[in-house]
Amino acid sequence: MDFSRPHIYHESVASRSNIRYIALPDNDKKKKDDQSLDDRVIASANQAAQDLLLGPGLADVDPRLIDATRFQESMTPSSDTIQPGSLVVIFESFDNLNFVYAKSKEIFNNRNGHFHHDDFIGKPFGCKIRSRNNRGYGYCFLLKPTPELWSRSVNHRTQIVHELDASMICFYLQLRPNMVVCETGTGSGAMSHAIMRTISPAGKLHTFEFNHQRATQARQEFAENGLSHLVEVYHKDVCGKAPVIENYKPGEKEDTKDNKKEEDTPPPQQSSSSSSSPQQVQGGFGLLGQSVDAIFLDLPEPWLAVPHAAFCLKPDGRLASYSPCVEQTQRTVTAMRKAGFHSLKTFEFRLRENYVHEYDMDPPPRAKRPKVDPNPHDRSRMNNNNDKATTDDITVAMVGDEDTGAEADNEESQVSEAEISLTAGPDEVEDAIEAAKATPISTAATAKKEKTSPTTAVNASSKQRKMVVARPFTNMRGHTAFLTFATAGLLPQPDPNNNKNPTK
Amino acid sequence: MSTDNGTQPQPELPQDKAEEKSKDPSLSAIAENNNDSSVPDPRLEVQSGVVRDGEYVILAFGDGRKFFAQCQTRARGKSTPVKIHKRSYHTWQLVGLKYGKVLELGQSGLVPLPDGEEVIPSNPYIAENAVATVAATAATDDSKGGADVAVAEDNEMEDTTFPPIQQDNDNRHLLMGDKSQAMDQDDLRQLREEGAHGSEIVEALIENSSSFKNKTEFSKAKYILRKQKKYQPRCRMVRCTAYTICEALYIKDSRKLMNMREDTLGQILSYSNVSAGCQALVFENCMGIVTGAVAERMGGYGRILSVYTGQQPAFVEMLSRFNLTFAQSHSIKWLHSGDVFMEDNTEAPPPPADAIDTELEEREQLKWPCPLQEHTRQYMQTMAKDKQKKDFLAKRCNRFARKLTRHTTLEVNQMLAERKCDSVIIVTRTDPTATLLGLLPYLAPSGPFVVYCEFIEPLTECFLEMQRRSLAINLRLSDTWMREYQVLPGRTHPNMNISQSGGFILTGIKLCPVTGKNELDEELMKEIRSEIGGRRGRKPKKKENPSNEKDSNMPKKKRRR
Repeated sequence: MDFSRPHIYHESVASRSNIRYIALPDNDKKKKDDQSLDDRVIASANQAAQDLLLGPGLADVDPRLIDATRFQESMTPSSDTIQPGSLVVIFESFDNLNFVYAKSKEIFNNRNGHFHHDDFIGKPFGCKIRSRNNRGYGYCFLLKPTPELWSRSVNHRTQIVHELDASMICFYLQLRPNMVVCETGTGSGAMSHAIMRTISPAGKLHTFEFNHQRATQARQEFAENGLSHLVEVYHKDVCGKAPVIENYKPGEKEDTKDNKKEEDTPPPQQSSSSSSSPQQVQGGFGLLGQSVDAIFLDLPEPWLAVPHAAFCLKPDGRLASYSPCVEQTQRTVTAMRKAGFHSLKTFEFRLRENYVHEYDMDPPPRAKRPKVDPNPHDRSRMNNNNDKATTDDITVAMVGDEDTGAEADNEESQVSEAEISLTAGPDEVEDAIEAAKATPISTAATAKKEKTSPTTAVNASSKQRKMVVARPFTNMRGHTAFLTFATAGLLPQPDPNNNKNPTK
Repeated sequence: MSTDNGTQPQPELPQDKAEEKSKDPSLSAIAENNNDSSVPDPRLEVQSGVVRDGEYVILAFGDGRKFFAQCQTRARGKSTPVKIHKRSYHTWQLVGLKYGKVLELGQSGLVPLPDGEEVIPSNPYIAENAVATVAATAATDDSKGGADVAVAEDNEMEDTTFPPIQQDNDNRHLLMGDKSQAMDQDDLRQLREEGAHGSEIVEALIENSSSFKNKTEFSKAKYILRKQKKYQPRCRMVRCTAYTICEALYIKDSRKLMNMREDTLGQILSYSNVSAGCQALVFENCMGIVTGAVAERMGGYGRILSVYTGQQPAFVEMLSRFNLTFAQSHSIKWLHSGDVFMEDNTEAPPPPADAIDTELEEREQLKWPCPLQEHTRQYMQTMAKDKQKKDFLAKRCNRFARKLTRHTTLEVNQMLAERKCDSVIIVTRTDPTATLLGLLPYLAPSGPFVVYCEFIEPLTECFLEMQRRSLAINLRLSDTWMREYQVLPGRTHPNMNISQSGGFILTGIKLCPVTGKNELDEELMKEIRSEIGGRRGRKPKKKENPSNEKDSNMPKKKRRR
C-alpha cells in the first residue's frame, strides 16, 4: 500500500531558507546594555528561529536542533502504473472485490472471465480491464489498494471491524503518525491496516492474536503488503486465560488449546520484575509501563485485558473496546472505571447508505374515466368515441417517452378501450348506461368537456418532472458492536502480573 | 522485522515479491533516505505530555460545557484570559501542567488538583457507588460530558448486571416546594464572601436540607452532583485534537461547522485515505477544521494543498487551536481558488507558462539573520528604552522568519501541476457537482475523493453525474447514525437525546479518464473477438453488423433486441 512505501526527501521552502542558530561572538556574556546592535539582531533572530521551528516557550534547547534544514519535504512516491508485484484490488461490483499481486503470466479468474496479469502490468491504476475470453464482454476495474478496499476484498477469517467502525476507532483514539499502538486480537487484519495507515511512517503497531494460524497468516499478509516495519505480530492471549471455550462470540474466536506452549514470539521488552511460576499463563502486552499511546481491544472478554492496558498506556492515553453485546460492554466499563480511566463514552455507529437514481414524476392523471358506450352497435356514437380515443392517445404520447409514443397507435387505443369495458364491473356499466339514458343532454355536455380537456391535459403533462432522488437502502447492517472509548488517568497503574504473584 | 522470519516456515514468496521484501522500508531506511543523517527528523516526536507555552487546551466541565483556552506564560505578555461563569481566569499557570489534569475554579483562579482527582468530586455523604453511577448518568444524559468518576470495589468482577445498591428509601413522602432548604440566598452569599471552599458550601446545603435524608441513594447523589456543579465546579484540561476540537465546536455552534459532526470528520479522514507522505487537495469552508485535521493526520509528512477563496486564508485562528508543529503547519500550502478552478475540463489544465515569480525573487533577497538596514539602524537609535528595542527586533525577526518559509503562489501552483493529488476532500457550501468536476482533474486515477454536504440533494446530483460520465467508481452516498449509550450496571440504555444527522458524505474512487472508460480498448476488443468464437462460449450469431461495432460491444443493446 502507498502509505508503507519509503519516503522520498527533497528540499522544501523551509530547508532552503537558511534559518538556523547562529553562534554569537564571544562577548555574549557581556551585559545586555553593552551588546552591540548587531549582536542583538543575532540574538533575536535565534529566538525567532527557535520559536518558529520548535514552538515557543522552550528553555535550554540544543542549538543544533534549531536548523530549518531538518524540515525537508518527505513524501511517498506516487505510483500510477501497475508494476510487477504490486498489489491490485480487482473491483468487480460494489460488493464483490478481490485482490491479486500482479505477476507475469498469471491469470485471475472470476465469473466475468479470465483476466491476464500481463494485461494489467503497465496500465494505470483506475483502469477498466476486459477479460480475454467471453469476447471481452467481461470486465472489471483495477484499483490501488487502500485499507478500506483491502478489508472488503480480504478473506474474512473472523468477523472483521467494518470500515465505519475502523475509521471511528482511528479517529476517537486520536491516532496520528509515529504513535505506538496495541491491538488485540488481530483477526483478519482489516483493522490493523487502518491503524498502520494512520501511524505510518515510523509508528509501531503491536498486534496480539491467540489463534496460531491467524497470527501466522496475518504476519505473512503484512509482509506481503510491505508493512513489516510498522507492525509486530504476537501469538499471545493478552487476557492470560487458561484455555476455555468462549461462549461470547460463537464461531468467531476459536478455542486455544495450547496458547501457552506455542508462544513463538516472545515480547521484546519483558517487564523486568515479572516473575511468574511456569504453570501460570501470563497475560498482558509484555510492554513497558506507560509506553503505549493507544490500545484497541477486540476480545471476547475485554475486561480481563483492561488492567493490562491501564498499565501499558501513557498518561492521558486512549483506550477503545469493541464488543457486540451489552453485557460485555457493561463489565468492560466497570473494569475501566476501576483501572482509573475517565471520560468513558460508549457509542454505536451505523452506516446508512443511500440508493440514488433519477425518478420521472408523472403528473396526476387528470383525464376523466372514459365513458362506456351504452349502445356499442350504434354507429353514429362509435365515431364519437373514436375521436375521443385519439385525443387520449395524444396525451399519452406527450407524457410517455419516445418508445411508447411511437408504439401507440389507434389499434392499441381500441384494445385499451376494450380492456376498460372488461375491467369495469357489470354494475358500473349498468350505472353508466342508466345515467346516459336518464340525461342525454348532460352526456353531450361531458363529451364537449372531454373535447376541450386534452389541451389542459397536454399542459399538465408538460409539467412532468425528472428528479434525482435518494432513499436509504431497504436493508442495513443492524448492529456491529458497541464501541467504548476511555482516557487513561494520570496516575501510573500497577502491573497486574506483579499483583497476582506476590511470591517474589 | 524479526517476526517475519520467526519460527514459522517461511511462506514461499514469488520471486518479485521476495525482492520487494528485501527492499522493505524500515525505520532506519527512512532515516537513511534523509540526505543528511546527522540531522534528526523532528517529526518523530509525536506529542508532549505537558501543556507548552502558547498551546490551546479545551477545558471540559463535568456538565458538558467546553471552553477553549490558550495557555501563555506571563513573560510573553499577551495572555488572553478565558471567561467562565462571567469571570475571567488567567491561563498562564496552566503552562507546564500535564494534559488530563483536573482543575478547580477557586477564588484564586484555576487551581490544579493532584493527579487522580476527578471532575466529579467524591463526597462522604453517600455511597461512592451511587455517586459513580449517577454521575455517569448525569454526564451522559447531557450527551456531552464524560463520566468522570472513580468507582469503589465491585466485588471482584461478579456479575454486575443488577444494581449493587439496595434502595431503602423511595420518594413516596417527597413534597414539592421550596420549604426543605433552610438556607437562603443571603446565607449562601455570606458563606461565599467568607471565602468558604465549594465543598463546604455543598456540605452546608446538605445539612440544612430537611428532605435530604429521606431521598433515595440515587437522588441523594443527584442532589449533591447538582450542588457541586454550581458551587464546586471542576474541569479537565483536554488536549486539542481534531476529535476534541470538532466535538467542542459542534456542541457550541454546529452551524458554523456546516453541521458536520465529529464522527463525520473522522470518516472523511479515513475514506480519503490521507496518510503521512501523500498529497491531499482540500477545499473547505469550515473555518479550517478539515485542513487542520488532515495536517494532524499527516504529521508533517507530505503536502496539503488547501484551497482558499477571497484575499487570504481565513483559517489561521482555527488552525492555531490544533497546536500544529512547524513541520505540520509547513506541510499546509495555500492555493487560491481562482488558480484551481479552470474551465470545466475533464483533464488537468496545462501547467502555467513560465511566469516570473516576483514573490520568489523577493524571498530570495532575504537573508538570515536579517541584517539591519541603515535607516532601520537609525530608527532604532531613537528608541530610548531597552525593552522597546528588544520588542522591535523580536517582531522584525519573527516577520522575517515567516517570510522566509512562506510558499509563493507559483510554487504551490507548480506543486499542483507536477504531481497528481492522492486524495481530494471537499467540504464547502458550493455546488458539489461543479466543485468536484473542477477538482477531479487534479486527482490521480484510482484516488479516493470525499464530498461532504449537510444536505442530501446536492450530493445525489453529484452522485448521478459521476455515474453518468463514468468518472468514478465505488460511489457511496451515506450518513451515519450515531448513538451514545449510558452504560451502568443494570441500567444500560441509549441516551435520551441524540444527534439525528451528522451530514452526508459522498465517497468514490476516480477512474482513469482514459482507460477507465468503456470504449477505449476498441482495437484490442476486435482482436480478442476475432480470435475467440462466440459470445460467452456460444456460437456467433448470424447477424453481426461490423459497421456498427461500437454499439454491438454494449451488452445493453443486445438485451434490447
